Amino acid sequence: MVEKRSDRERESILSTAASLRWEVGNDLQTSLMESIYQNASRISDQVVIADKSKARLAWEHRLEWLLTSRWTGFPIMFLVLAMVFWLTISGANYPSQLLSGLLIEQLYPVLKTFGADLHLPWWLSGLLIDGMYLALAWVVSVMLPPMAIFFPLFTLLEDFGYLPRVAFNLDSLFQKAGAHGRQALSMSMGFGCNAAGVIATRIIDSPRERLIAMITNNFALCNGRWPTQILIASLFVGALAPAGLASLVSAAAVVGITLLGIFLTFATSWWLSNTILRGEASTFSLELPPYRPPRILQTLYTSLIDRTVFVLWRAMVFAAPAGAVIWLVANVHFGGSTLAEHLIDLLNPFGVLIGLNGVILLAYVIAIPANEIVIPTILMLTVLSSGTPDLGHGAGVMFELSNNAAYMAVFKAGGWTLLTAVNLMLFSLIHNPCSTTLYTIYKESGSLKWTVVSALLPLLMGFLACYFVATLWQL
Amino acid sequence: MVEESLEKLLIAVVGLVMLWALFRPVSGFFWRMLRASRQSDRVLIEDGLKHLHDCEYKGLQCTIQSLAGALSINGERAVRLVTRLEALHLVRWDGNLLVLTTLGRSYALRVIRIHRLWERFLADQTGIPEPEWHAAAEKQEHRLSEQEANQLASKMGHPRFDPHGDPIPTLSGELPPMKGKPLSELKTGEFAEIVHIEDEPETVYAQLVAEGLYPGLLIQMLDQSNGKVRFAAQGEEILLAPVLAANITVEPAKRLPETVSGTSLLADLQPGETAEVVNISRACRGLQRQRLMDLGIIPGTVLQVGMRSAAGDPVAYHIRGAVIALRREHTKQINVLRVEENQHESQ
Amino acid sequence: MNPNKGCEECPLNPAENLVRLGVKMDQHDFLVALAGNPNTGKSTVFNALTGLHQHTGNWPGKTVARAEGGFLYEKKRFKIVDLPGTYSLLSTSHDEEIARNFMLFGQPHVTVIVAEASRLERNLNLVLQILEITERAVLCLNLMDEARRHGIQIDTAKLSAELGIPVVPTAARQGEGLNALLKTIHDVAMGTLSCSPKRFQTGTSDLSEALTILVGKLEKAFPGLSNARWVALRLLAGDEQIIEAVRDGQLQSLAGANG
Repeated sequence: MVEKRSDRERESILSTAASLRWEVGNDLQTSLMESIYQNASRISDQVVIADKSKARLAWEHRLEWLLTSRWTGFPIMFLVLAMVFWLTISGANYPSQLLSGLLIEQLYPVLKTFGADLHLPWWLSGLLIDGMYLALAWVVSVMLPPMAIFFPLFTLLEDFGYLPRVAFNLDSLFQKAGAHGRQALSMSMGFGCNAAGVIATRIIDSPRERLIAMITNNFALCNGRWPTQILIASLFVGALAPAGLASLVSAAAVVGITLLGIFLTFATSWWLSNTILRGEASTFSLELPPYRPPRILQTLYTSLIDRTVFVLWRAMVFAAPAGAVIWLVANVHFGGSTLAEHLIDLLNPFGVLIGLNGVILLAYVIAIPANEIVIPTILMLTVLSSGTPDLGHGAGVMFELSNNAAYMAVFKAGGWTLLTAVNLMLFSLIHNPCSTTLYTIYKESGSLKWTVVSALLPLLMGFLACYFVATLWQL
Repeated sequence: MVEESLEKLLIAVVGLVMLWALFRPVSGFFWRMLRASRQSDRVLIEDGLKHLHDCEYKGLQCTIQSLAGALSINGERAVRLVTRLEALHLVRWDGNLLVLTTLGRSYALRVIRIHRLWERFLADQTGIPEPEWHAAAEKQEHRLSEQEANQLASKMGHPRFDPHGDPIPTLSGELPPMKGKPLSELKTGEFAEIVHIEDEPETVYAQLVAEGLYPGLLIQMLDQSNGKVRFAAQGEEILLAPVLAANITVEPAKRLPETVSGTSLLADLQPGETAEVVNISRACRGLQRQRLMDLGIIPGTVLQVGMRSAAGDPVAYHIRGAVIALRREHTKQINVLRVEENQHESQ
Repeated sequence: MNPNKGCEECPLNPAENLVRLGVKMDQHDFLVALAGNPNTGKSTVFNALTGLHQHTGNWPGKTVARAEGGFLYEKKRFKIVDLPGTYSLLSTSHDEEIARNFMLFGQPHVTVIVAEASRLERNLNLVLQILEITERAVLCLNLMDEARRHGIQIDTAKLSAELGIPVVPTAARQGEGLNALLKTIHDVAMGTLSCSPKRFQTGTSDLSEALTILVGKLEKAFPGLSNARWVALRLLAGDEQIIEAVRDGQLQSLAGANG
């Protein structure tokens, strides 16, 4: 009985509220905010004693002007970003070699002997050591050093408060493409690692612009793809120029590919914002926080833990099973030849149509977890399919080579031409993101639909680009 | 011999594929066509009910002719439609006027509810531009189920008005009586607030939107002569042909009308200038409006223009102790009153 | 790495009373909610209290989901929940809903509101909204070092009197004021320090009539409800969750807890 009565009472509250709502009209929120802010400003006037002369420190004022004015803003920005990239690339070289020497040249043979001592069956030792271990070793040695340098540097700039100014300066450019100025930062982060770049889109607080930044992050050439570009450019493009200019020409080719990636970022952003993402809500506001002296130790610690180790872990989780798959594909026999050879034969007609070949396509399919292992996989598959095992470490094992002549010998055996090289460079820039990045996109966007778009859109664009280049080439 | 049988096989395969394309479950071409024809039947019924309700709400009389005109169908089809509506007990004849039955009214309100909810949704939670709302809602009103509409409403906090200022019927079919009067009935010098802008016909609506008019805008009637309606809004004079003015409904202003003139746009201020926020234009909606308010851009806020970015467009503003960069496309929607620096200090 | 290091030599440091528990929280004596605007150093305060290392950038909006941690102070176990940073609680954005629902239905014993000292006015917007919902709150006035650098002083005693809740100035990055904060949280949780937040008559005159009617009805149906005005405002705004809380009587349990 009491229950009934209180039920009725509650329903009557709700119906009163519902009918009162017609009277209150549309502006409830504005008028509430207005009166809350009135109280807030009354209280703050009473309790805050501000020394106006110190309100904005002189050095802050001058720094702000220097970093955002028309004539100094952009040059300083390019200088700072170039410095970060230079430190990353040149600084990562040595530790990368060290790691690969340790993990691949020294530890790998030790593991092999250990496996033999344990009398592991050939397939188990192959699967575990030649497959999973090698893939992991490659990912770690290529990925870890640049990330361990790049992320702390970036985090320092972030903590200091410079990055919001970069977004501020570049926003009008991004606005024209329907994107957010902060995409400049997720994009820069993408040059380190696309998965980290996708996570960095969290700072974009507008739904549409955040999706755009996620989907296009892949066009920032990540550090897993730099080595591919540099290798192919110096082997094929640099060789076209006279000896003295070779390194300059090949460097120009890599820069060209990078710039093409930036152009594609803008073009794709523009296209997305005007077509499939047109209906998504969009907002813009950019707070410029005060400059804060960065705390270096804390930054090193958190950027290593939160960014580097996190991304590396995710990459390793994907790379290990991929290593196993790669090994299996190259070692499972099926009607007289390996599974890989069947697949290559299957993919080859399409590969040739778009100026690549079956080996490259298969490498991109099975090395989807990490771009770092694409070149080793291509080498292994080429040796396997061209029947020249003496060029590598024996059939079915991923490997790298120590000098350009050796690479050239393998590629020549695989029937590569200049067209193959150019298209490989293009395809390495324009193809689906690695599975680590895709998984991150799925986690961050929470949507299967946008993950699929992020995978298929660049893939389709890559096929088209390669097809056009191949067709024009043959004219 | 072999070739012949191959040919036959090919034809058979093509035939099978075509059959599959036509009749495959759910998305087969045939089923789609069938649904479309049924859909259009339902669309006609629902649009007819909407027209009848519109007449009733505005106190106008509805006949077969007005129905045919509103739905742009010929008289014969209109008669068939009315027969259909009668058979469904949605409409009855009162002399030669058409009147909604209780059942018909609640059906009509349900459709209107979905239409206006959907417009509210498009305005607040998507980036779809204003001129496309009406057409999108015209389609959606026939598709959304009642349950989906309720979910939408509760997610948006049960909005009461659509973005044109029209009330959204409640779940139980409540709708407040129409308020306001046509703009042309306003006397010279009177202040008023726009409460409704009719969104049909589309061309007229687009012109009114282009003039920067929106529900909630405060105006002052200047005069009506020479076949033109002249009034002030946001410090500007607006001239409208009576045909256009007839689509605007106003109500005496509840708020202080002093904000009607003398304002400028935040976007037009120079670095270093100080201003007090008057309001955020209604043209700024949804997330962006919310964001600006969260940042402290509220009527009465005093802000100062800071530096421009290197490329010139986003400009930084000092707002309640924070430095916030805003784009020109949004500062164009914020009305402010310039404040002289010394006057501000003395406050 | 210990952000509290600077003060371990201070004579009055009760640091032995604080044990950072990280995420190991199986049971707790008190539940603490941590709310505040984005980019006010909320996560730094959270890290300093729990010993966890959530990344904090000079950016708004780093904490995306809810983060939990714990600490032991004066032999009491505190579980602390870091809510997403929001500017306001009035709209229906996802983050604001998470923050608001936790403060309303999670029934924390203490809500710590982190505000940025040099942008007090803007931060008060959220503070005043939170005080409409909850009774027991502590204002942590963070980034005092930055305010000092900019020549800003704040009369914390007066602010505390104006708001009706304790106010603790801190500089969490330097570890300054954390002990006072811990003690205040503890005292408010134990009830030795009482809060009586001032509630302002928000809203315009045309609202007040509607509010009076609704508040009267709400107080009759839910005796002891301390934030009836706020609930009435939410009903007028059509807030689905509050409507449901009224309908199924969940509001009554809140009234009981607060009253």
